[in-house]
Amino acid sequence: MDQQLIPRTLETVGRWPRQSVVYVLDIVGLISVALSACQELTHPSRRRIFVSLFMRQLYNTGVRALFVNGVIAAIIGALLMSRLFDYIPASVLADQYGYLFVVVIFRELGPLISGIILIARSATAVTSEIGYLRISREFQVLKGMGINPVFLFLLPVFFAFPISLFLMFVYFDFVCMLSAYAFIWFSDPTISFHTFIVSILGQITMNEVSINAVKAILGGMVIGVISIHFGARADVSFDEVSEAISNSTTSQLMAFFLINVVLSLLAYTQ
Amino acid sequence: MSLITVSNLHIEFESELLFESVDLTVDAGEIVAIRTEVLDGGTTLLKALGGLLKGCGGSVIYKDRELLDDPDESIYADIGFVYEEKGLISLYSVYENISLPLQFHHGVGGQELADRVLSACARVGVDEALLRRRPHELNDVQTRLVNLARALVMEPGLLLIDELEGGMSEEMLVATMNSLHEHQQEHSVAIVMTTSSDIVESHADRLFDIHEKGLTSLERS
Repeated sequence: MDQQLIPRTLETVGRWPRQSVVYVLDIVGLISVALSACQELTHPSRRRIFVSLFMRQLYNTGVRALFVNGVIAAIIGALLMSRLFDYIPASVLADQYGYLFVVVIFRELGPLISGIILIARSATAVTSEIGYLRISREFQVLKGMGINPVFLFLLPVFFAFPISLFLMFVYFDFVCMLSAYAFIWFSDPTISFHTFIVSILGQITMNEVSINAVKAILGGMVIGVISIHFGARADVSFDEVSEAISNSTTSQLMAFFLINVVLSLLAYTQ
Repeated sequence: MSLITVSNLHIEFESELLFESVDLTVDAGEIVAIRTEVLDGGTTLLKALGGLLKGCGGSVIYKDRELLDDPDESIYADIGFVYEEKGLISLYSVYENISLPLQFHHGVGGQELADRVLSACARVGVDEALLRRRPHELNDVQTRLVNLARALVMEPGLLLIDELEGGMSEEMLVATMNSLHEHQQEHSVAIVMTTSSDIVESHADRLFDIHEKGLTSLERS
């Protein structure tokens, strides 16, 4: 028997947990680096630079995503929520439809789809930008000017992603409601808009709003940090950037789904 | 007392020894030229002098601070580095590239910021029309001049310039060196330049050659 077999097997088995622990520590480390870079914001001129970068990131991440977010919300509203309306017996419609809308859209689908859009549109762009900056040695240029790249690139993403994500949740829910109502109205014009909206809004509690806010803050922060983490691992060649985008997207999806599932289970399990 | 003192600087990458022991002192208001050839380590030496290279041996002391020991980032506000290639942040426009360190370190904003950027650009011949462009839209010479404008706008105590002359006509190089000389006279800045140009060498107070993994002082002809 090969004498190296056992050590090699142990090494193979141990590699995955070791890499996972290192990865989680890297992400936690990056979050702490971002928090510590917040000290720079006490300096008025640096705060001005930050605000301009933050607004640019917020526009690119939150505002420019509204179209695709709206289209998907409209489709889901039309196909899912208007159909659901038809299946509920008229006797319990007033109580049940709003509740189902909140459970399906507000609690789960809205956050999940908005997160996926954020990952697909913005996080991949951030990973590729950071990878390109690394490969072209632009971080070294910044160091040569005494400017911390964390302040310039991580901090705006760290704050803009959670805020964008929360705005995307709200926008998604709003468009989904409008689209669902429009399609319901086609089949039954007697349903009043006021009754429809009130039946949904009446079911939304502070608990739901808070959990969605936590999903946006945690999810946006983690997505942003992971995108920077993988981008910064590119070092020499452009194929490393492609690999970084691929790994980053996979990790972000897993992390974001996990955050959503865990928070939903903790908050909504009776 | 010297502005920058380099003692026994040793630069080695894996198994390749680039510089065994470099000793150099530069005073405020002095221009030092280092004659360089392709792949002789001139750029690397310049980066080490600016504290941008990790893992060097020896010592580089600038204004009583050791640059090789990862000093506080504020020291870099006082050292300008002009790259031979690239050196700009690709996500920002030329104007943002030049103004960024001034905003970041000195809090300059508004009209004063614009005036200082335009003045630095005018001094080194960067056309105002270039200010809105992105770095990828510039040629090599324009990129180097923008690098130079960004360094000058900070009014640093030490300016490190890597082969300024590449791609420039003789006329352009003379004009740029004259502007640089004017700035140096006004601000008493110390300048260390790597070069392979007689025109640049003619502006230097002292001239060195990279020879046998060290620097050799050359007599001015």
